[in-house]
Amino acid sequence: MTATQTLYSRPEALRRVPTHYCPGCTHGTAHRLIAEVIDALGIRERTVGIAPVGCAVLAYNYFNCDFLEAAHGRAPAFATGVKRVRPDLIVFTYQGDGDLASIGMGEIVHAANRGEKFTVIFINNAIYGMTGGQMAPTTLPGQITTTCPDGRDVRQVGYPIRMSELLATLRTPAYVARGSLHEPGRILEAKRFIEKAFRYQVEDRCFALVELLSTCPTNWAMPPDVACKWLADNMIPYYPLGELKLPEESVTS
Amino acid sequence: MVSTAGQRPASRDDGRPRPPGAANGHSDLSQRGFPPLADSRLRPRQPVVILAGGLGSGKTELAINLCLRLRATGDRVRIADLDIVKPFNRCREARELLADAGVELIAPPGEQFFSDLPVILPEIRGMIREAGAGEPEEMTAEPGAGIVVLDVGGDAAGARVLASLAGAFRPDGYEFLLVLNTSRPFTTDLAGLSKMCDEVRAAAGLVPTGLIANTHLMDETDVETVLGGYRAVSELARTAGLPVRMVACDERLAPALPPSSFDCPVLALTRVLGLPETRGARKSPLTYV
Amino acid sequence: MKGAEAIGEAAIRAGASAYFCYPITPQTEVAEYLAKRMPQVGGVFLQGESEVAVANMLFGAAATGKRVFTSTSSPGFSLMAEAMSYIAGAELPVVFINVMRCGPGLGGVLAAQGDYWQATRNSGHGDYRCPVLAPCSVQEAAELTVQAFDLAEKYRNPVILLADGMIGQMMEPVSLDSLTPGVPSEKPWATTGCRGRDPNIIKSLYLDPHVLEKMNLRLSAKYRRMVDEEVQVELYNQRDRLDLLVVAYGTMARICKTAIDILGEEGLHLALVRPISLFPFPAAAVHAAARHATRVVTVELSQGQMVEDVDLALRELGPSEFFGRSGGVVPTPDEVAGAFRRLAKGACQ
Repeated sequence: MTATQTLYSRPEALRRVPTHYCPGCTHGTAHRLIAEVIDALGIRERTVGIAPVGCAVLAYNYFNCDFLEAAHGRAPAFATGVKRVRPDLIVFTYQGDGDLASIGMGEIVHAANRGEKFTVIFINNAIYGMTGGQMAPTTLPGQITTTCPDGRDVRQVGYPIRMSELLATLRTPAYVARGSLHEPGRILEAKRFIEKAFRYQVEDRCFALVELLSTCPTNWAMPPDVACKWLADNMIPYYPLGELKLPEESVTS
Repeated sequence: MVSTAGQRPASRDDGRPRPPGAANGHSDLSQRGFPPLADSRLRPRQPVVILAGGLGSGKTELAINLCLRLRATGDRVRIADLDIVKPFNRCREARELLADAGVELIAPPGEQFFSDLPVILPEIRGMIREAGAGEPEEMTAEPGAGIVVLDVGGDAAGARVLASLAGAFRPDGYEFLLVLNTSRPFTTDLAGLSKMCDEVRAAAGLVPTGLIANTHLMDETDVETVLGGYRAVSELARTAGLPVRMVACDERLAPALPPSSFDCPVLALTRVLGLPETRGARKSPLTYV
Repeated sequence: MKGAEAIGEAAIRAGASAYFCYPITPQTEVAEYLAKRMPQVGGVFLQGESEVAVANMLFGAAATGKRVFTSTSSPGFSLMAEAMSYIAGAELPVVFINVMRCGPGLGGVLAAQGDYWQATRNSGHGDYRCPVLAPCSVQEAAELTVQAFDLAEKYRNPVILLADGMIGQMMEPVSLDSLTPGVPSEKPWATTGCRGRDPNIIKSLYLDPHVLEKMNLRLSAKYRRMVDEEVQVELYNQRDRLDLLVVAYGTMARICKTAIDILGEEGLHLALVRPISLFPFPAAAVHAAARHATRVVTVELSQGQMVEDVDLALRELGPSEFFGRSGGVVPTPDEVAGAFRRLAKGACQ
């Protein structure tokens, strides 16, 4: 008789339901990494998540913790409200590039600059997914979308915004890192970033943001494996991976 | 406890509107509630009087009254509206009454008059110099410069405007009086009064020269309200080493105050700005303009 | 106290634990008062980066079950409209204080009542209503602030306190001891961490049209209940035969009372209906009072907004006359009395 050992199962912080995400979409991977970290830190029962407007608007159906659904781009303001009146709760926002870098630019910059002690997971797939593949503030130069059918023309709409770099210029202590979800090694690295970002909050230390480069095979119009390669070849050169800012020990108590 | 119906200031007049300009004589000012100052101790000791203090402490009503009373006494009087903190209840709202009495009002021109923009007019510096309150010390007042009253906005936030003018004064060229209403939030006890005093001083960059006790509860003020306020302000006066220059109170209540209660003169006030339902009503001082 | 301070203090007495704000004239005194007071009572004071952010912070904070509020003035209120719609959709209790200034656009900083439509219909998108309370004195501003928190909790709905710049600046004695806030209710819906229960989700998205319609019907029943239970009105100088019935709210009602007194001395019989709740509108009270009057006049610091509700209330007795000033011009009691005199005497002929 052999003893059975569970090596891999669904985290408690995820519900036992199928998601609506397309095959090859990395939202599912990102959800799982966050859920694993929540389990590992034992914080599920005091966590409040904030869902964005975007493909992940229904994230509250998948995570097994309290959740709010925010207005488009306003998740950092929602999170500020929760965390300011209930500093004992663990609060995270889950936002896409249209939500965070376009309509919600004001909210994210000011929440970061105030040093709000919550965690932001920023999914950057360089396109609007929910509304069907329009140009995002992070769409790459020349990248084709339904609202830039000839490719992003930087003379007309400027270059894509590097949100992590932008936020890392802020003085207020913060943790800013960029990971990617296109291959296993990078997925493990991304999980380490996410784990740090939540741990800093548990330790009441600082605002933390993890940007995750993600794929959107449907709107990119590519099979999943090609999408992963496209990400590696095109996104990573423009959006370099790594930790951009670490909290200064002296300042963040 | 607040009755809103039918409250109008007591009148010593017949209540009939008068044509503009009919009030130029000093006797007419008396009829409206602004007689000449009988007690010379109420007169400014310096050519420039700055009135500052807590938000809603009654500075503006006091400033308007003081100006009209000095005017009735025969002085040339100029008043500068330096309230940059709120667009309501500023002395500029009594512009017609002041103009009619011959008090010169210095307020922002044109549409800025109605704004809450921080507008500091350059002529204010000139007025200070003319009145003989500026540097250098040997400068004397120009003939006929009269008295200049600066009506400043409330709290430290309002007193900040003085910082930009601070260099214009010589140290003993002005009276800087803090108007205090001890029934207002944050200034109900010695600690609160001291804090207000320190904050206004720090923001203004000028040292106050005296205090005015103006404790009131609008129409619910009684003698004890005034006496209690005077006691609290006197306590601050002792700690801060400043004189209580005067006690101010509504003219309807002034006759009831026991004169022996105070070591300073009493300025009886006729309410000018008041509440929206009395402002410009038949029996309000603003009506006659 | 000034109206602005009384509102801030009343909110504290009502158990408000957080206040989010963005400065705008003519109500910044509320923020300045609470910047000092909230830390003293262990509450949260936060100046956000915009009214948009502030209103969304309120969503987050209210979702935890705390009593939360903001104050702003007209242009800022417009920016909060987005979040108000979400708050109404998610059924969260939040108190919004709008100290109206004149518009449209940047308008001016003086008092006006031009946001009546915006407040009583709905400021944001979608099918929702909010109770709207309009004080006419500092004491009443304090009392209605307390009521606003209780109502917000009773209905799990945003509640608007609609004041004007004069109420904010007006100084009157206030009795704070007479304020009697309700006991905050249990909030099993709050997102406070799912210890010992299934997760709570607070949202306004319902993709299935039948589910959303059901939600709309439920909300609609809630709004009807407000109409049945929350009407507040003051009647002034009512009598059996009136030369003129006046309908006015807020500061304008104070001025109307003085005008009514002036005309009373001349032997003219005028009465005032002062809606305290603007939604629900006291339609029955207006209609009942109007039956004794030859004519009705609506008075506003606008070019005529509430007058449409008055006319709806008057039904077969209507429509009413209208007298209004706007742009920050506040009529004197004499001016209003003059207008009333003309109308009342016209009615007598």
